[in-house]
Amino acid sequence: MFALRIEGIKKSFGEYTAVKNVSFSVEKGKVYGLLGPNGAGKTTTIRMITNILIPDEGNIYIFDEPAGPIHQNIIGYLPEERGLYKKLKVIEQLVYFAQLKGMNSVDAKKKAKEWLNKLDAGSWENKKIQELSKGMQQKVQFISTILHEPEILILDEPFSGFDPINTELLKKIILDLKDMGKTIILSTHIMEQAEQLCDDICLINKGSIVLQGSIRDVKSTYGRDLIIIEFDGDDSFINDFSNLKFINRTKNRIEFRFSDGQFFVNDFLQKAMQSVQLYKFELSEPSLNEIFIDTVTKQEQNQ
Amino acid sequence: MNRKTSTAKIWTIISHEYITKVKSKGFIISTILGPLILLALIAIPIVVTMLSMGESEKKIAIVDISGKDIGKKLVSIDTAKYILSNSSLSELRQQLLNREIDGYFFIPEDITTRSKITIYTRGGGGIAFIAKVEKNLSKIIRHERFTEAGLDPKLIDIADKGIEVQTEKLTEEGSKKDYAEVFAGVGYFLGFMIYMMMFMYGSLVMRAVIEEKANRIIEVIASSAKPFEIMFGKVVGIGAVGLTQVIVWVILSLGILSLVGPIASMFAPSPETLTAGMPMDGKEAAFMQNFEIPEISIWLILGFIFYFLSGYFIYSTLFAAVGSAVDQEADAQQLMTPITLPIIIPILFIGSVISNPDGALAVVLSLIPFFSPILMIVRVAATDVPLWQILLSVFLMVSTFLGCLWLAAKIYRTGILMYGKKPTFKDIFKWLKLAK
Repeated sequence: MFALRIEGIKKSFGEYTAVKNVSFSVEKGKVYGLLGPNGAGKTTTIRMITNILIPDEGNIYIFDEPAGPIHQNIIGYLPEERGLYKKLKVIEQLVYFAQLKGMNSVDAKKKAKEWLNKLDAGSWENKKIQELSKGMQQKVQFISTILHEPEILILDEPFSGFDPINTELLKKIILDLKDMGKTIILSTHIMEQAEQLCDDICLINKGSIVLQGSIRDVKSTYGRDLIIIEFDGDDSFINDFSNLKFINRTKNRIEFRFSDGQFFVNDFLQKAMQSVQLYKFELSEPSLNEIFIDTVTKQEQNQ
Repeated sequence: MNRKTSTAKIWTIISHEYITKVKSKGFIISTILGPLILLALIAIPIVVTMLSMGESEKKIAIVDISGKDIGKKLVSIDTAKYILSNSSLSELRQQLLNREIDGYFFIPEDITTRSKITIYTRGGGGIAFIAKVEKNLSKIIRHERFTEAGLDPKLIDIADKGIEVQTEKLTEEGSKKDYAEVFAGVGYFLGFMIYMMMFMYGSLVMRAVIEEKANRIIEVIASSAKPFEIMFGKVVGIGAVGLTQVIVWVILSLGILSLVGPIASMFAPSPETLTAGMPMDGKEAAFMQNFEIPEISIWLILGFIFYFLSGYFIYSTLFAAVGSAVDQEADAQQLMTPITLPIIIPILFIGSVISNPDGALAVVLSLIPFFSPILMIVRVAATDVPLWQILLSVFLMVSTFLGCLWLAAKIYRTGILMYGKKPTFKDIFKWLKLAK
């Protein structure tokens, strides 16, 4: 069953077309990565899913119903640009947003307290938003997104502004929600996070989808041809090879590929072992990050 | 699935706006302070007048050696002020310096033929007090001179009679005391109140819209409710705050007015002593009139509430549209001009409308929906506005409000999602075309 089905949506603002032709489907209970560079049309796509904007063309279905205002209540949306009423108390803020999503105030208050306690924020209940630190405000905003128990969660850069400990806490909550059968759409620039969390992804660039599928499939089309080595010593031996394409090069760690597509692994290994102290040698899949950059730059060159 | 209806969401927004604003310190302070300022405006002139009338507290000793009971007659005019005395000159001097009395004078035998007498005081005391003694004394002396000249007491009475002008207003229910001037003042006051409140609450709406946009709250709210619901809920919620304030002000002010009259008249000398025989001077007359609070009709109060609310609704939707177009308050100045001008223009005409509330100019101006809130209430207070004019203005204002709401909702829908560039009128016009 699809929680969300998007068929050929298009949106222009005057002369400018933000979304040209986007179609994808998200299965219920999956984490779906909506990836793409800045200005690709992600936010416009999300705004159409959340019924803030209406597509000029195409259709959006939520649980097989044409999306409309009524579905706003079952969506929880955490925008990239966070915003809370500075002068409201934490609890008032949470209850108001939940009420706007159709909850009654008694339930909302009860749930809000539960979540605040769960996120070690029970004591903030009566503090005004402006008295909270940035990180604390982020937590409150996150709670407001999930308080009304939405079936579909749309999280735009959910981890920005969180320290590593809270990032882990948040990841755990997201995966818990997934286990409960909630559908999650994750938009992020940090590919490592997308790799960790997403089942499927789509990559949007300049208003169109350029890559789409499960993380497994996307990666396997690129093949296992990335070589990663870590070593100690003088790296000048590398210069003997003219057919290397560096993905990432630091003093003691190099990621590369043979640019002519052929494999000279044995030659390379021999040379390396003679020259330096080798700690690690790995034949790896490309990272999502690499795929992202590769796909986007290729598309740019083609134009 | 929770299928909460649009109306339920509008109510959530209305009650959120209402409760957060009504709980704010600013609202509570201005609501309580308003009537207190009104009280001060009424009380200060009264207190000032009473203080100047407090001259009568000054004690003046009279040594009457005229044998014509002139002293006695003076005392009967104001027993608090004049006292008869038999003390010697040195004793009087001592009393004056000890502040037991504030002045003394002799009434000599030839008082009726003299043109001057001398009052001894410690100096100062003001002109009012001397003028009063002079007025009281000359009245008695004049009476005495007439009598000595053998005039008929009837003639003397006729000569003493002054004339007082009173106005009465003729209505179908019969004649009533006319307070034309007072009501003109009331009209001016109410018109100005509406002017201030439309500005105050209109910009409150604008600031609330800007706050949501600047703090990026709007994106979350727009993903929960329709832009029209958000804007309409905000306008109604803040309007309800204004209505609350007006109602509290009306109740407190009526309460204060009903208390001020009796309390002030307790301090003032009774009307009998003031009217007994002596004509009042202008100041006293005006003072007395102030004590009579003219009956403020329920229609005037209802009219005030209606014209405030309808004016607020027309302008606040436009203020909301401007707020949605900008990222911060400072950018709003230029866009606000077409809204603030029609609020200010009627203020320039208040004077001429008050001086001729039934004239063609007043009628036409007060029917223009953007001017009606201020100018119509002025007319309602100052004159009997024909019913058809009231109904026409109600119709025009409601239509204008619907038009403004439609226009503002279109701008708002696009504006709230636009960031970055400070928009011009041209941009806003484009948005109007964009919004289908």
